[in-house]
Amino acid sequence: MIRRDDLEAALEAVLFAAAQPVPVERLSGLFEGVVAADLAGALSALRARYQPAPGRGLFIEEVAGGLRIVTAPEYHAYLKRFFDAAGGNKLSMAAIETLAIVAYRQPVTMPEVQEMRGKQSQAVIRNLLEKRLVRIAGRKEVVGRPFLYSTTREFLMHFGLKGLGELPPLEEFEETFGSEPSEAESRGESHVELQAAVEVESGSGEES
Amino acid sequence: MSQAPAVSSLLPDTWRVHLPVFDGPLDLLLHLIKLNEVEITDIPVATICAQFHEYLRLMEEMDLDIAGEYIYEAALLIQLKSKLLLPHPRNTDGEPVDEDPRDELVQRLLEYRRIKEAAQALAEVDRMRLGLWARRKPAWEQDEGEELDLDEVSLFDLLGAFRGVLERYDRENPDPIRLPGESFPVRGQFERLLGILNAGAPFDFIHDLRTRTCRAEAISAFLAVLELARLRLVRIHQTESGAIVLYRTTRDLAAEDLESVDA
Repeated sequence: MIRRDDLEAALEAVLFAAAQPVPVERLSGLFEGVVAADLAGALSALRARYQPAPGRGLFIEEVAGGLRIVTAPEYHAYLKRFFDAAGGNKLSMAAIETLAIVAYRQPVTMPEVQEMRGKQSQAVIRNLLEKRLVRIAGRKEVVGRPFLYSTTREFLMHFGLKGLGELPPLEEFEETFGSEPSEAESRGESHVELQAAVEVESGSGEES
Repeated sequence: MSQAPAVSSLLPDTWRVHLPVFDGPLDLLLHLIKLNEVEITDIPVATICAQFHEYLRLMEEMDLDIAGEYIYEAALLIQLKSKLLLPHPRNTDGEPVDEDPRDELVQRLLEYRRIKEAAQALAEVDRMRLGLWARRKPAWEQDEGEELDLDEVSLFDLLGAFRGVLERYDRENPDPIRLPGESFPVRGQFERLLGILNAGAPFDFIHDLRTRTCRAEAISAFLAVLELARLRLVRIHQTESGAIVLYRTTRDLAAEDLESVDA
């Protein structure tokens, strides 16, 4: 039986060392004789300590079905310099547009993506495959048996989503249109939907 | 269907320099719909079609590469326009079919606009989360038998593994050292044999052939002897024991002789 403050420290150690988001079930499997309530208590105490706050370089976020420690965005520039600029670049608009189609319509084939975008998409899809943001999920049983593409766990991690269910419904984006005269305005509104998913600035780890 | 002004009046005076670059034909269509202040669900196809083609002409004038997708969309618009000009199809009862040929285009444009908005939102998240770094698997861990989520093994993992195998194979089985093959021009053998014969004694050609380093050189030497004989620079005799003996004749080597050998 592990002591309560040891439990919290052990959780901290595991999250620090893990290279992937750790599901809570995996954590609970680590400690014998610890009831779920104690674990939850220790976790929320730990997460409270790892809130984004001034003077803190790390915080705990819940993403892709697990918990992980990430760096505070304020220190991006230093990390980029430290890792010699490898990674840490924004995705192109074409990549994000394609990613949105795959995310909302998965599993989806290349011709379907192209039909929706109205243009060639092979290069973009290849790029997304390499970044592991999408994967081949099988083949569609139609003429030519084209590959079906889906999003990956990496996609969830990239966009800070706990699961695909956290994507705002596509229909919500429609409401911001129509009679709205200013595109910029309607765009601003639609962003509100995702603010919740972006737990960066508002402070992650509240809900769990 | 409201009548929209001509495209020239919709574009700013300085359109030649400020021609917006559209992100694909659907983007252009949305832009035209906005310019005409019409609803997506009630597109004045003839007007939009004309403006779309006008835009393609502008692109042409400006020497922009018009991607095939624009032309495809332009063709779809013409097809749609012609459908609208035809009398409404009637079903078997003679009643007009209550179906707008524009529906498909409308659905596509609505879907595209939704996706574009969703993409904008995702881009915002991408931007905000850019600065978040998490621990990555160390390189050594990825090399070892890494526990992979089976579902997540992609073609690229396979390709990566395959490349690793190939690299290891190449490391363990370095390419053999290759020496460039020697070539034996007839001219070289010609000069070698002539040199030996000029030096004095007649000699046994069969023995000479046997001491060549390889088949190619022997063939070349044989051809050289034929050349020497043709140019009457040597005489060829066979002894009773079967040896083939070459004798140098008195004829001098002429420049054109060598040219004929090279030829």
